[in-house]
Amino acid sequence: MESRLLRVDLTTGELKSEVIPHSIFERWIGGSGINNWIMWEHFLTHDINCDPRGPDNIFVFGVGPLAGTGAGSGIKGRITFKSPCYNMFGDSAGGGKFPYMLRFTAFEYIAITGKSPKPVYLRICNNEVSLEDASHLWGKDTLQTHTMLREELGTYPSKVHTLSISQAGENQVGIASVVSDALRIHARCGGGAVMGSKNLKAIAVQGNGGLPIAMPDEMLAWSDDFRQKIDSNEAVYGFKRRGTLGAVEMYQHIGSHFWRNNQGNMFRGGEITSDNWVNKYHKYSEVCSSDCFIACDAKYKIDGTESEAAKKYIGESFRRPEYLTTGSAAGALDVRDWAEVAHWGKITNDYGIDNQDLSCAISFLMELKQRKLISDQDVAELFGHEQSLEWGNMDDIEACLHSIVFQKDLFGKLFGDGPYLGAIRYSELKGQNFMKYATYGKGGASFTEEMRPFPTWMNNMAVASRGADHLKGIGLIEKFQRKDLSKIYFDGRTEAADLTVPTLKGASTALIENQVALLNSYGVCLFHWMLDPSGYTPQDYYGKAYAAATGIDRTPDELMLDGARICNLEKAFNSRIGMRREHDTVCERWMWEPTEEGMYPGSVAADMFNPVLDEYYEWRGWDKESGLQTRKSLEACGLDDVAEVLAQEGSLAK
Amino acid sequence: MITVHAKFHSHFKELASADEDSFLIEIPTVSEFAKCICDKYGARMRAMLIDPKTDELNERGTMFVNEKGMRVSAEDILEDGETITFLVGIAGG
Repeated sequence: MESRLLRVDLTTGELKSEVIPHSIFERWIGGSGINNWIMWEHFLTHDINCDPRGPDNIFVFGVGPLAGTGAGSGIKGRITFKSPCYNMFGDSAGGGKFPYMLRFTAFEYIAITGKSPKPVYLRICNNEVSLEDASHLWGKDTLQTHTMLREELGTYPSKVHTLSISQAGENQVGIASVVSDALRIHARCGGGAVMGSKNLKAIAVQGNGGLPIAMPDEMLAWSDDFRQKIDSNEAVYGFKRRGTLGAVEMYQHIGSHFWRNNQGNMFRGGEITSDNWVNKYHKYSEVCSSDCFIACDAKYKIDGTESEAAKKYIGESFRRPEYLTTGSAAGALDVRDWAEVAHWGKITNDYGIDNQDLSCAISFLMELKQRKLISDQDVAELFGHEQSLEWGNMDDIEACLHSIVFQKDLFGKLFGDGPYLGAIRYSELKGQNFMKYATYGKGGASFTEEMRPFPTWMNNMAVASRGADHLKGIGLIEKFQRKDLSKIYFDGRTEAADLTVPTLKGASTALIENQVALLNSYGVCLFHWMLDPSGYTPQDYYGKAYAAATGIDRTPDELMLDGARICNLEKAFNSRIGMRREHDTVCERWMWEPTEEGMYPGSVAADMFNPVLDEYYEWRGWDKESGLQTRKSLEACGLDDVAEVLAQEGSLAK
Repeated sequence: MITVHAKFHSHFKELASADEDSFLIEIPTVSEFAKCICDKYGARMRAMLIDPKTDELNERGTMFVNEKGMRVSAEDILEDGETITFLVGIAGG
């Protein structure tokens, strides 16, 4: 297995192709694993404490070896960089056709450094690469940018597929995202701001090359078995129609939504259910990423008959909202109409903004207003004019969005890096401590779900390498109370599925982080694995597909060690910039304020937080007092060289 | 005989074409309750509720909880008047 890396120095305009040798795949699997290593090596020769918006930051795109193989497992590309909003390790996955189209060119990885003197886009057409003037694209949103590039570049050797930023990225807004084909968003951590800081508007790819498959017959056999497994599961037919929206009813039943800045955990109004979505809006379906046997994606087009509010959005068309887009609107902001929720999903995508960070920032401010902690005059000071800031009011919500995207007033400037830094800045400005109303973990914005009854999830929020994270240490054993999974993973023990005890919660985080690191490095969607975690095991079942694609045949234990290696490198990055145990924490609301509704009232993180965190460090082999890695833990997963770097910089546990 | 109530959500609701239902069961276990539901609603409900390999409750993409929010297992004992809610178990997005 070999691959090609395109290195782009935007300061000099130099474009250089490098071979990624087999040994790198042996050590880092691919996808996010290789991205992490490219960034790690970069910051061995550049200041890791650099300004993330400065030319020394690196922006890496990579796609794993299963993507585009036709294996049916969905496709995810990954961007990796130092996060400008959280100032630590940052990365984000995104689907669609861009990732595999990149594989159809001569490259699978792109590493971009420096800063262009003027706006440019990177064009890759099979093995030809160039930097092109993007001045005509500057000031456009992601849909406009994608549409213009498609028209300009034609359809040979393939349609154009793009990664682009909107005005938010151009303005270096910390929570600006990167959008693939104007449809699928690499939302978290502010990759859009990194591209904007480099004057890089977009990457456009066209390709018609093939993909190397080491063992094609084995890959076909695996793919056939995978399809049969998918087709034999009735639950899949529900997912085809509802996607992640199927979670709405479950979360409503147990109390796991994030209502009004997590003052509650249930939606109000009765309209926002997956049933209502299916009945009113489910009109068009499409295959998710052209390589997925579930195909949970669907498009809608509003015709105005769906609700009174829908009349404002007649003709609007986009993807069905995912659960968390719904959670951010119907939960965090208390929007009670599906057309408005869908519109929120579309505009946050077009403007390339992470709707988790954004909704947490807006709902923080709305709660201050609700509690009369700030006056109408204070609000006018933030926006330059009166703004009612009412829960669920789309005019208010869009005003907040525009303020952040265009950075023209105080609210946008204060909260452009999300709710955590926004709350600190606003508290300082007003001379009052508002932090108890900010929701975050490790400085990262909450994802919009209730987490206080779920100790594994709370630990995930605290320890995730990119801050409050729902996609690395996924607490599915606990949330779905899967005793069967707990028994499989922990020698017959069931405590990992028991919400009432701290035992095996830190262990669950570590184990699933390792598994998810593998999936992210293969370049596949997590959804199939979540559907059947014991059937589609990343280290065993997917490991066979990885072997077929790459020729790298590993035992499950070896692959789990590979996953641990990838996680440890992300941790080492954060240790180098000074993060310690005290950073592995969550916000005051989660820690101390009990839930008041749902099936688990009275829950607070503090009840189990420290024992779970201690257990996590133990399972990782890290030092519980400092939170730092030990030399032994790093050497156990083949990271002797990383241990040396940390030791030299005083970031290794003594 | 005891009466046990079922509440159906999302895909379960589509399969049952009903929000809720009640069943009289002789053996007060979750597995017997699931069998009654399958008998009434047919093959697709069975495929959703029962794992064909193990003949146990299907854990893949499902969530069955009692009134305290605790997941129930096939061998759990049910009480007269109890309600079990059938949900889709998925997250994220």
